[in-house]
Amino acid sequence: MAEAAQITTEATAARAWPKVVRRILAFVAGAIFVYAGVIKVFDPLRFASDITNYQILPWAVAVRLAFFLPWLELWCGLALIFYRLFRGAVVLMVAMMLVFIGASIIAKLRGIDVSCGCFGSASSNLSFTSHLVLDFSLLAVLLIFWFWRSPAIR
Amino acid sequence: MSLGRQLFFLLGLAFLPAIGQAIYFRNATTQEPPMDSALVSVAQAEGWGEKALWVDARPDEQFAAGHVSGALQLNEDRWDELLHPMLGAWSPEKKVVVYCSRLTCHASHEVAERLRKEAGLTNVYVLDGGWEEWQKQHK
Repeated sequence: MAEAAQITTEATAARAWPKVVRRILAFVAGAIFVYAGVIKVFDPLRFASDITNYQILPWAVAVRLAFFLPWLELWCGLALIFYRLFRGAVVLMVAMMLVFIGASIIAKLRGIDVSCGCFGSASSNLSFTSHLVLDFSLLAVLLIFWFWRSPAIR
Repeated sequence: MSLGRQLFFLLGLAFLPAIGQAIYFRNATTQEPPMDSALVSVAQAEGWGEKALWVDARPDEQFAAGHVSGALQLNEDRWDELLHPMLGAWSPEKKVVVYCSRLTCHASHEVAERLRKEAGLTNVYVLDGGWEEWQKQHK
């Protein structure tokens, strides 16, 4: 009887580990998005200027996106941290990451020395390679969330 | 909640404050991007002759591929390493002209700003049109 109880406890613990890891990853990824969003919310014109720097969108479009995207990052980050609206947040974050990675690579291929603007002025010291490593890491984590879903996720 | 509703809810949550910001910054949406007040044209900078201290803010490989004659390299990737030699070439009568790839690049503005704030230099200018414009003028 005691042996059976111990096996059950061990099995429960084994099942809990992936959940803990997932929650930690969600918190870290969410916090990065919240940080990126908050910094840009306070300086949307600088972010608009960073978007224009990619030479893909005109200023009028860039400035409107600069009002919208930081808030989206912020809410999606909070959704990950608090495990609410999780799937929607993951889909939106993956879309944002894909667009951003694509735009960065295109800009690089065109020889444009872009300041990514991901974290406002805090990101200006990051090299292009560092940006890509960070972006692909975040994208990988988000894809893990998508394919490694828990029934508890809402 | 279905995925569609979640997307709708999150997009809506972002849209509402964005409208508020758009109203607050309504003038910015119609204006051109904010430019550095210390922009200088190629002709102006070249007119300064020996007084101009050219600073190339582009990444290493672009600097290696070609740069303004006599330009010193100072980019944000290797700021600590490159700042010292740049300051060694600087003197109070010099006018620092920072450039990057083209009109819309950011690196020259960032480097110029850091030179003003961190190194305390005052005569710091950003080359209008950057390396691209300089090349056009020297075809």
